[in-house]
Amino acid sequence: MSSFSFKLQDNSAAKSHLHARTGTLAIASAHQEKRQIDTPGCFMYSIKGSVPHLTPDNLRQQTFGGVNVAMEQILQTDQPQSFSKWTNPFAPESQKLMSVADYLHLQDLILLCDFHDSAPLEPFSKRASNTDYHVVLSTPKGIRQLTLEDYLKIVRHYRPDIVAALTDSILETTQTAGNPTPHKKVPSQKRVRKSVDRSLKWLDQVLEERQGRDGMAEDRKKEQEKRTKREKKQKARDAKNAVDGDTEMTPAANEDQEEGNAFVSQPWTDITVFAHVQGAHMKEERIRSAQETARRDQVQGFIIDTNDLWATLSKEHEKRSGEILAHVQTSLTHLPSEKPKMVYGVRTPEDVLKAVAMGVDLFDTSYPYQLTEDGKASLYEYGVEAAAAAPSIPTTNKSVVTNRWINLWDEEHADQFKPIMEGCECYACKGNRHTRAYINHLLKTHEMLATVLLMGHNMHQYSLFFSKVRESIQDGTFEAKATLFSEVFGIEPESTGEKHEAQIAVEAALQKRNQRLETAEEGVVEAIGGAVPAGQPVSKMEDAEQQASKKKRPSQEVEEGVDIAAKEKALKK
Amino acid sequence: MKSALKWDILAKCSTTKARAAVLTLPHGPVNAPVFMPVGTQGTLKGITPDQIEGLGCQIMLNNTYHLGLRPGQELLDACGGAHTFQGWNRNLLTDSGGFQMVSLLKLAEITEQGVQFESPHDGSLMLLTPEHSMSLQNSIGADIMMQLDDVVSSLTTGPRVEEAMWRSIRWLDRCIKAHKKPETQNLFAIIQGGLDPVLRKKCIEEMVKRDTPGYAIGGLSGGEEKDKFWRVVSQCTDLMPREKPIYCMGVGYAEDLVVCVALGVDMFDCVFPTRTARFGNALTSTGTLSLRQAKFKDDFRPIEEGCDCIACKSYTRAYLYTIVTKETVGCHLISIHNTAYQLRLMRQIRESIIEDRFPQYIHKFFKDLFVEKSAYPEWVVNALKSVNVDLIEGDKQQA
Ligand SMILES: [Zn+2]
Ligand SMILES: [Zn+2]
Repeated sequence: MSSFSFKLQDNSAAKSHLHARTGTLAIASAHQEKRQIDTPGCFMYSIKGSVPHLTPDNLRQQTFGGVNVAMEQILQTDQPQSFSKWTNPFAPESQKLMSVADYLHLQDLILLCDFHDSAPLEPFSKRASNTDYHVVLSTPKGIRQLTLEDYLKIVRHYRPDIVAALTDSILETTQTAGNPTPHKKVPSQKRVRKSVDRSLKWLDQVLEERQGRDGMAEDRKKEQEKRTKREKKQKARDAKNAVDGDTEMTPAANEDQEEGNAFVSQPWTDITVFAHVQGAHMKEERIRSAQETARRDQVQGFIIDTNDLWATLSKEHEKRSGEILAHVQTSLTHLPSEKPKMVYGVRTPEDVLKAVAMGVDLFDTSYPYQLTEDGKASLYEYGVEAAAAAPSIPTTNKSVVTNRWINLWDEEHADQFKPIMEGCECYACKGNRHTRAYINHLLKTHEMLATVLLMGHNMHQYSLFFSKVRESIQDGTFEAKATLFSEVFGIEPESTGEKHEAQIAVEAALQKRNQRLETAEEGVVEAIGGAVPAGQPVSKMEDAEQQASKKKRPSQEVEEGVDIAAKEKALKK
Repeated sequence: MKSALKWDILAKCSTTKARAAVLTLPHGPVNAPVFMPVGTQGTLKGITPDQIEGLGCQIMLNNTYHLGLRPGQELLDACGGAHTFQGWNRNLLTDSGGFQMVSLLKLAEITEQGVQFESPHDGSLMLLTPEHSMSLQNSIGADIMMQLDDVVSSLTTGPRVEEAMWRSIRWLDRCIKAHKKPETQNLFAIIQGGLDPVLRKKCIEEMVKRDTPGYAIGGLSGGEEKDKFWRVVSQCTDLMPREKPIYCMGVGYAEDLVVCVALGVDMFDCVFPTRTARFGNALTSTGTLSLRQAKFKDDFRPIEEGCDCIACKSYTRAYLYTIVTKETVGCHLISIHNTAYQLRLMRQIRESIIEDRFPQYIHKFFKDLFVEKSAYPEWVVNALKSVNVDLIEGDKQQA
């Protein structure tokens, strides 16, 4: 049995008129040490249940206490939706059933399980519409519809610490004639209202089930009525067509229902429920959603997902974050202050500071991840009078180097045998082990260690930023330091979606090489056929290898060199 | 010539030619027989130096050709060499760069002076000489550096093989002369001579006269028949001085390692374990698992029972199936496992030599891998028979 708590600290001595606050979100359980997230803080951003680039040992060097796992990324269409039949091979008692935390090896963190990616880089991915009975998940292997019934099964089997209640997020795209790529759609008022209603209805059903009561009765009744109607029609049709009597009902549907019924009596009150508040761009709906959701006492925390605002925001980059924050503010005002609030889509340090000032407690770590993907290493520091880095300098690259980060793709770092940041305690910087020059080299040679080192540094600095913010709230310097931060570091320049030219050249060359390699390796895989059938393992494999790479000494990465040649040429241009 | 290494043989197998030793290099001891993972560009496939050390790796390879291009000699000199550059405080070995020139660059041409090739930068003609290779390897600062050799494919026959052998000897002399740091870096000669025992013998005689700190068997693993491969290896180890380390280049499949150790080889390298990891192929004692395959989607076992690597300690095959070849973490995990597998294999071999039960180890190894004796490759059976291990009948005798 585990229990959730959220305690706010008394910072009244700090005498701030802002709503910034510090607290501790904790999960205590009998069989494990207490896990906690100090707030303002983060649930780490993950992709398919892994924090990008960080193997478990490297992940443990980070100090974030929680992780956010998106159901749609681990609930693949080709995998069973539960771990019910799977036991945990790592558990001491051999019979222990596997939870989602076991499966993802995230047992020492507070695990929040939500549906969608909290920071989708591509809002235009195929999104069909949710209905009254299911939400649409975009899994790595395709679209999957998730019904409330499925959802409840998953919660019972996954057993995350915190789960987001099923909600109707408006992430629909539309396709117009002549424009084959789907684009963001401004939702109609009707659609927004429906989203709020549906989310509340689902929330109530989820909360009923959580108490061990049947929250699905009504839905099942309706479903049964529909089915009977369908069957009747079918029978009538069959009789008419006088086909060969093969009208058996698929047994799957019945089985499903039985399994669902079996769970009805089991409460899952040791799993904490967070609820999404909806309302999109409509102020009155945001208020209604917040007020109604707040009324449900069982809800222990709130998620404000601003990703659904995309279609309604200004074109001008500078205005957008203000608009997002205004919507966040609307929701916040009507939520109870003693419970934690998490925001998606507010991630740059200056936006985080603004949201913290409004009373937001939780964020994700998609900001350091996105910097890493661009080859950027963060330099911003909270509470400093002047930027440690050189002021903005235009470089060979079109992108402007700001003092908040450096882009290690820039050739100017090639001979910089110094750490990203003096005094930084991350794995790369500490003791000047991995210099800017080395990371620049790794990027140019497309070696994966580059993103490992950058992610480690960027995550470490983001975490440090949050811990300094918490300190400043406690000692009453938050307001001054937040102002100072924006003076020194300004705002995040708009990411144009344009990659560094060196990156483009390297990736193009790499793609070619990978195709070649893939073909060669395909032969290997085919020859060995996976877990090698006893009898002909490696010898066969070797034949394939050698056929694929005639004349090659396997010790040498022949492809790499060609790759470099292509890169060099591309770079020269 | 001068040497910057110590070679202490701890134990010799009483049946085969295998031996266990400690090779002490400028950056610490190396337990031999040893497998050296290949970090071509000064990094091992997304694994941090701390993780590599954690796997017990004591020596890693870098490629001279690649480091010569990037970051380049000037930067290597500026930062004090490849160890500092990549934050790796243990030993490094570099190849000469010659092989890559020949195999990578279409217009490479070998003359007495060196390897002439078209610059990948601007297409101009450039020349890699033994002197230039030494100078680059001195800048890299590897604990073991390899001579520039005249590489011909092991499938080549005729006078070209002999020409390459003699030229490699002449180039060795030039390398020895050009080597600026024999007190801190060990130069290894590379035995050439193709599949011809007479040429191999001649080459060894000549190179042994040069008295380099160690010797490599070159010109193999190029697609030649396995039955010819092992005979050349065995002939070379018979003729090479036993008081020096012997390195067989480009060998890294598990069964090749076991056989070659039995034939008396001490050092190996191969890019295969980490390269194949990128495609989701995990090495185990019972064969390779291609974790991309859907049959692993609900396989809730670790990659290999008993493996103590971070992948096996943390994840199931089912989870790895969802991330291999998709997420970099998946790739790192399999690379770590495969490297752990190779290093563990060598550790087990070494322990069995020290305890003089290597033949028993060989029997078990092949039984685990192939299950049925009828599946044992003929060349393996022949090779091991030549060193008194009878894979087909022998386990009965020992039992
Ligand atoms: Zn750092
Ligand atoms: Zn392992």
